[in-house]
Amino acid sequence: MESALRRWRDEIGDAYALGATRVVLGVLLFANGLRAARELQDGYFGDVFHWPLLPESWVPSITVYKLIVAAQVLLAALVVAGYRARPALFASAVTGAYVLACDRLQFHHNRWALFCISLLLSLSPCDRSFYVTPDRVAPRVAPLWASRLAQAQLTIIYLASGGSKLLDADWRSGQVIFERMRLYSHAAVDSGVPQAVVDAFAQPDVASALAKLAIATELFLAFGIWGRTRVFALWWGVWFHLTIEATSRVEGFTWLTLGVYFLFATPDVRARKLFFDSSRWRGKLIARLVFFSDWLARFEVKPWAPDAVRKGHTVVVVRRDGSLATGIGALAMVARATPLFFALWAPLQFLASFTRGGETSSKN
Amino acid sequence: MPHLGSRARVVFAASWLGGQIALVVSAPMRPDHIFGFRMFPEASTMEIHLSREVGGGEVPVPRGEWTARDRAGQTRSWSWNDRVRDSVIGRLDTRVFASYGVSAQLARLQRALDDVADHVPDDTQTVRFVAKVEYWKNGGERSTATLRSHARVVR
Repeated sequence: MESALRRWRDEIGDAYALGATRVVLGVLLFANGLRAARELQDGYFGDVFHWPLLPESWVPSITVYKLIVAAQVLLAALVVAGYRARPALFASAVTGAYVLACDRLQFHHNRWALFCISLLLSLSPCDRSFYVTPDRVAPRVAPLWASRLAQAQLTIIYLASGGSKLLDADWRSGQVIFERMRLYSHAAVDSGVPQAVVDAFAQPDVASALAKLAIATELFLAFGIWGRTRVFALWWGVWFHLTIEATSRVEGFTWLTLGVYFLFATPDVRARKLFFDSSRWRGKLIARLVFFSDWLARFEVKPWAPDAVRKGHTVVVVRRDGSLATGIGALAMVARATPLFFALWAPLQFLASFTRGGETSSKN
Repeated sequence: MPHLGSRARVVFAASWLGGQIALVVSAPMRPDHIFGFRMFPEASTMEIHLSREVGGGEVPVPRGEWTARDRAGQTRSWSWNDRVRDSVIGRLDTRVFASYGVSAQLARLQRALDDVADHVPDDTQTVRFVAKVEYWKNGGERSTATLRSHARVVR
């Protein structure tokens, strides 16, 4: 326990992926600021019924609130741009939490989660990548304790959400999901979910099974995102959140969660190599796709002159451990390491398991 | 941003995690369960009917609009939505989705009743506001609740 604590406290690693999470948070904070500005056009919440957690005298005047909203938009832009990003992220979190405390009618779990994660990430070296202009030259290999804490925050969220459902008889039985389906099936259809799929899911037995699956998923994700099950848990989580996004209104929670998932990437860069046959259009296309979708800098992408080993392959991926992946196995590796294609990882990996051994993985 | 030393990291992390766990565990003690990360806690619906207690009886307030005499003896109009703009408790006489659950919305409604009672000083007739709420928790049987604002001093 003590050694684990020491490892967490003293861990250092490449902070490249933290910049990607910071950009996601910045975009969500920007959207949050714009929403607040839009709502201001309909009137200031302090002029009508509101429910502050703080003493009423701490609720800002309309002038001050307008300044806060303007500052939130500006701070979010700084977060995205990576200029004075950490103070901007910290200030965004504090002002956001302050506004929630001024009116709990505006409280939503996704907003609270956004401010919590923002505050934690502001304590991490999230300003060392994805910046327009660097504030100062700082090494990208830096302490990761705060980003690990942000990951722990996600575990708390999953545990709280899954645990509260587990303790609720209506949730366990599927009654809550069944009723939500009944009330909101039209919204799912409007979002592009086929009517037949919605009808199939809007059955009591199916709802009951889905409820148990949702509870099990949240409890699994709480711990599965750490350790050996990490990649599968993250893949499962991506589909879990995309499904929720398609069927419910959760503001930016889907994108917040997926942005935090970046923090679970191994803290290094270009540890894998992708060689491609530049004489084939397919090779060039895959290389270009990987180049543009490799947001976490997982791959060193290089053309090669085909030799005896690589002959016949459009792309070859060299894993961290030096083993090779070609064909569908290489595509599975690309999907595993690129956020844009990550949702395809498990099916590709499953398909790759049916290809002959030398095709999917061969040692150097 | 300040750089936290080894000891400060441990203290901060322990405080943060302890605080978050305390907020989650204590969420049931708050009617709206805020800070508890209870996603999609219920799928309940509710319908609010507002009325006013005046003199010796209760007068319905359809659509949240009512008229009463002001201090000058003139008849004036008020609306529930002058104060309450919330998308759930601001919608009267219609069945709405009770976001975050019935208990959260009843707690908000109680506050709103008191708030409105405090913000119509010129209404010299309404003694208190009464909300009769029908609700269907997770699509179950209809239940009812009656909430009353605090009494107003009517002169």
